[in-house]
Amino acid sequence: MKTKRLRWPGWLTVLIIAVGGLIVLGVAHDDGLYKNPIMKITAVKTISSDKLTDQYQNADRAVTQQLTGVITNGQYRGKRVSVTNTYNVSQANSQQYRRSQRVFLTVHSTNHKFVATISDLKRDTSMAMTVWLVLSLLVGLMQFGGLMAFTSVLANGALFWVAVRWNAHTQGALVLTIFGGLAILFTAMTLSIVIGLNKQMLMTFLTTVVGTALAVLIAVVVFQLTNRKGVYFESMQYVTQLPLPLFLAEAMLGSLGAVMDEATDIIASLMALKEERPDISAHQIFRSGREIGGEIMGPLVNVLFFIFVADTLPMAILFLKNANSWGYTFNMTMSLGVIQSLISGIGIVLTVPIACWITSSLMGGLPRWIQFRR
Amino acid sequence: MDTISALGLILLIAMVLVGGQQGFQAFLSLLFNFGALFFAVVLIAFHFPPLVVTLITGVIVLALTVFLGGKDNASTQIAFFASAAVLLILVLVIVPIEHWAVVPGFGPEDSDDLEQMSLVLGINFLEVAMATAILSTLGAIAEAAMAISAGLAEILDQHPKITLSRLRGAGLKVGTQIIGTTFNTLFFGFFGGFLALFIWFAGVHYSLGQIINDKIFVAELLMVLFSMVGVILTIPLTTWLMTMQEAKKRKMNN
Repeated sequence: MKTKRLRWPGWLTVLIIAVGGLIVLGVAHDDGLYKNPIMKITAVKTISSDKLTDQYQNADRAVTQQLTGVITNGQYRGKRVSVTNTYNVSQANSQQYRRSQRVFLTVHSTNHKFVATISDLKRDTSMAMTVWLVLSLLVGLMQFGGLMAFTSVLANGALFWVAVRWNAHTQGALVLTIFGGLAILFTAMTLSIVIGLNKQMLMTFLTTVVGTALAVLIAVVVFQLTNRKGVYFESMQYVTQLPLPLFLAEAMLGSLGAVMDEATDIIASLMALKEERPDISAHQIFRSGREIGGEIMGPLVNVLFFIFVADTLPMAILFLKNANSWGYTFNMTMSLGVIQSLISGIGIVLTVPIACWITSSLMGGLPRWIQFRR
Repeated sequence: MDTISALGLILLIAMVLVGGQQGFQAFLSLLFNFGALFFAVVLIAFHFPPLVVTLITGVIVLALTVFLGGKDNASTQIAFFASAAVLLILVLVIVPIEHWAVVPGFGPEDSDDLEQMSLVLGINFLEVAMATAILSTLGAIAEAAMAISAGLAEILDQHPKITLSRLRGAGLKVGTQIIGTTFNTLFFGFFGGFLALFIWFAGVHYSLGQIINDKIFVAELLMVLFSMVGVILTIPLTTWLMTMQEAKKRKMNN
């Protein structure tokens, strides 16, 4: 990065962290921006606590609490309100509220009596604060490089949201086209930020696109050949459109980042190698590429595996507690995550030879006989 | 043959063809990690305390990933200790933030899946949420620690006389190089995994305010952020351990 030669002044770090802190403080007091009434809880009283059991001999407690508080925004601002909330102590789909939390209210009647229930907790402050923590660590430790990494994630997030909106607009008919195009755009944008516009970027770009596309292609072929035996799309969560193309789009996006990461690493090392020894043969490029790639592919597959499969933990526990067998629980909760990890893994592994091949053909690794004659 | 076995077989063959012995080890570590994760789920369902189970599973998983993935012994050991230390620090970050954000269990978007399910569970799902968040960061921590320790080992190999403060600087430099691409891996990994949820948000026309307070969205975003914190912390910690070890080695040689 060229800009790195400019000196990064220390006060800029302090400024970024301070401004970020002020924004978090602002988010903590942004109640006025919401249309729904928000209540700040000032007192909590437990009204009742009953033992619960179910047909599987699970035991839990249902607690009803009376929450008193003050509305902090909108037309009811300043009004003292009292609402009740019932939750299970396990809190799997209900929630216990505590003093000084802020909650969103749904108002049911306003004519004679004010009746409201809690719809959800206000979580924006805790989220903003965690974002601020990441930004501070990045800028504090890595200054400009850290700021760039943060900005690139933000830009990707914005682009991602635009694509999601577009997909909703088309009722999901074009999901693979939209997110395939998005993947290409993402790759081009990110790589030109990280590497710059040059031959190395072009090679990394090609490797990433081919590697990811190949993984999806292999997945489609395997799905066809095995008749999707043991693939339970009915267990896919939040599905509002045709599951197969959606799943493939998920697998494609999921592996894109890791494939890009790997392609960047391998090609940068191979370019350095080529610079050091200009007469290196295509065969040697392959050998070094395999050595570098072989080392990083394992950990990368594991990164994605944990992201895809750890998510399924709560659902898996719910299934087990509902007296389902281990096998059924795996099929209905974890198997899609595992399949996604496997598809990404295949992409990550195949990227190694693709990177070597693209590097050696574009950088012109000398065929063996020419080298031999020298 | 069912689809999972077919894909698994293809992955195994590809890994062995590309990476040889190391490729085979990579496949083994994936298999063991799955075993560890599934075992953790079963233990939590049997009412073992989720956080204790997670910590033990976490250390085992880090050891499996690092030692089966690494090559050179000295730097691999550093990578393991650094990643285990980051895991402990992350737990101290994750527990209070999850306690504050309160994102346990399931949201209104899950209600279809919850039909006919008994939600009388007797397991603290806030702790399950913490366990989920901790487990989801493990791969990223291990990968970052291995990349940095391997990078530093290489530098030490080529410049055995490098001063300790320059070695420290080099660690930070390697870190800055990997952070951009590692963030990308995390970003796409998470958002690829939850594409359906975002499509749901867009389809049902959630407002921005609804999204940034939504239980599932916040839980998911926090997981990405925790992984990022983990990766960032790994950089100075691995560098520090590496320099400590080098300093000790040099003292002994003198």
